[in-house]
Amino acid sequence: MARNAVAIPERAVPAGVAVGQSYWQIAWRRFKHHRVALLGGAVILLFLLLAIFAPYLTPYSFEQIDLLNRKAPPSLKHLLGTDDLGHDVLTRLLYAGRISLTVGFSAALTSAFFGTLIGGLAGFYGRWLDNVLMRITDIMLSIPDLPVIIILARYMGGSVVGIVFVLTLFAWMGTARLVRGEILKLRNQDFTEAARAMGASDVRILVRHLIPNALAPVIVAATLTVGSAILLEAALSFLGVGIQPPTPSWGNMLQNAQDFIWTAPWLAVWPGAMIFLTVLCFNFLGDGLRDALDPRLKV
Amino acid sequence: MGRYLVRRLFQMIPLVLGLSVIIFLLLVLAPGDPVDFLIFGNPNVRPQDVARLKHLYGLDQPIYVRYFKWLSRAAVGDFGYSMTYKEPVLQLVLARVSNSLWLTVPAFFLALIVAIPVGVYSALHQYSPMDYFATFFAFFGVSIPAFWFGIMMIYFFAVILKWLPPGGFATPGVPEGLPFYLDRIRYMILPTVVLSLLQMAALTRYTRSSMLEVIRQDYVRTARSKGLPERVVINKHALRNALIPIVTILALSIPALFAGAPLTETVFAWPGIGRLLVEAVLGADFAVAQAIIVFLALLVIVFNLLADIAYALLDPRIRYD
Repeated sequence: MARNAVAIPERAVPAGVAVGQSYWQIAWRRFKHHRVALLGGAVILLFLLLAIFAPYLTPYSFEQIDLLNRKAPPSLKHLLGTDDLGHDVLTRLLYAGRISLTVGFSAALTSAFFGTLIGGLAGFYGRWLDNVLMRITDIMLSIPDLPVIIILARYMGGSVVGIVFVLTLFAWMGTARLVRGEILKLRNQDFTEAARAMGASDVRILVRHLIPNALAPVIVAATLTVGSAILLEAALSFLGVGIQPPTPSWGNMLQNAQDFIWTAPWLAVWPGAMIFLTVLCFNFLGDGLRDALDPRLKV
Repeated sequence: MGRYLVRRLFQMIPLVLGLSVIIFLLLVLAPGDPVDFLIFGNPNVRPQDVARLKHLYGLDQPIYVRYFKWLSRAAVGDFGYSMTYKEPVLQLVLARVSNSLWLTVPAFFLALIVAIPVGVYSALHQYSPMDYFATFFAFFGVSIPAFWFGIMMIYFFAVILKWLPPGGFATPGVPEGLPFYLDRIRYMILPTVVLSLLQMAALTRYTRSSMLEVIRQDYVRTARSKGLPERVVINKHALRNALIPIVTILALSIPALFAGAPLTETVFAWPGIGRLLVEAVLGADFAVAQAIIVFLALLVIVFNLLADIAYALLDPRIRYD
């Protein structure tokens, strides 16, 4: 088919958008102008690399203790000092990043999956199923999550999988609502009708035609969920119901740091700063993605 | 209004039932039931005794029977007896709730008096330096771990400057009356600020976006074009309308403040409901933990209802007949 059969009048194209760009190319152009989000993305990438290559970046293991250098202030030998048992703080900080980031990404992925599934089913089938699923969503949203998560995390006994499970339980609702809304908008449009007329099954219509169109809000919500999951995991580990020592996590490194605030204040500074920076960057990134993917979106 | 209220109450039934089932499941899912804890480490207990005890406590009954029994007892405030604190759970929880109020009430008002002016100013001066600062502050507030922020505040104000106590509730031996309250205020300052921060940040964002939406409305332009002074336009025409959705957010921030209490109260050793929850969970005293969740759920239900009523009263576009 001749590609130049239809002449595109120049005025029909919004300023700054070249003809023939895909949705994702346009989104990337917009995202590039969001400097804070770019910075957030870069810092997250750096933290990911630090976590992945942790064993090559430090001469110590995270369980290795230096009994002669307990609560040692920062020095050339221990760049961020040592804790009350003589662990190298920098080493534990790097390894803890592995746990925190794993928990954050896993919880975001699983809650994006279940949120999409539940929102998709509710929006697509409507009627009583929609009613039931949305009432459950409302109830889950109204529960004060932190206190209930504290109890459930204790039942899980501090395993990473258990923590991810509990965090997912309280993180899918936003995605479900967004996906449901998108599906309701798209369900009766012509391309859906066309697919149905060509004999596509419900599953195919949902997976091939509807959900891909609802992807933008899911990506934004998942990015913000990584941040909030890291924050919650840190809180659980700080309270003693999350990741258990000797496995280091940023939260459990702060657990007894408060007891040593008079004698070794540096112990309290770094793990918290890492949590703060990581969560801040995910929030910046999510904000930038929202502006880039769909400026009208409110997550 | 009366009929609207009745209809709203009926609409709350699924929420109340759903919450009660979830809370009941919280206790059922607990590792080990009360009998297991009772016989733990006692070699003289025979299997028949265990069965007899479980029968006595009704633990051998079908789950829906146990749910209704639990519900009917909870309805009259019977949440059992705390094994670790040696007192009825209800009495224990109520005493701690009143301690928590010392933090949640001031934190609520602190969030309110900071967030609303800042949010309004931000909206009226969109993209000004102050607006960027407020936006950054909001990102800061929702990203910072409350417990770490608390520890840093302790380090700065208690360890370095020595202005405020690093935690606790009261200085021993302070006489009652005015000295008692002055002493209590010194203990309240840091935890109140820490507890308030998250709500303050969220409320600033909500106020800003609500105000931005309102000042673009036609009626605000009309008010301006008929020559009203800017002060009147903002205070009477814009702000009043912008505050309507804010009232809902405000009502829901009360349960949210209580939900955030476990972290703040743990850091500052404040003997409130949040710290009680953490202690009970760590000590496997799940009856106490469950009663606290019931209290929080009641707060959610009551303040949801209050938010709806306030919304209907403030916004004449909501028809309540």
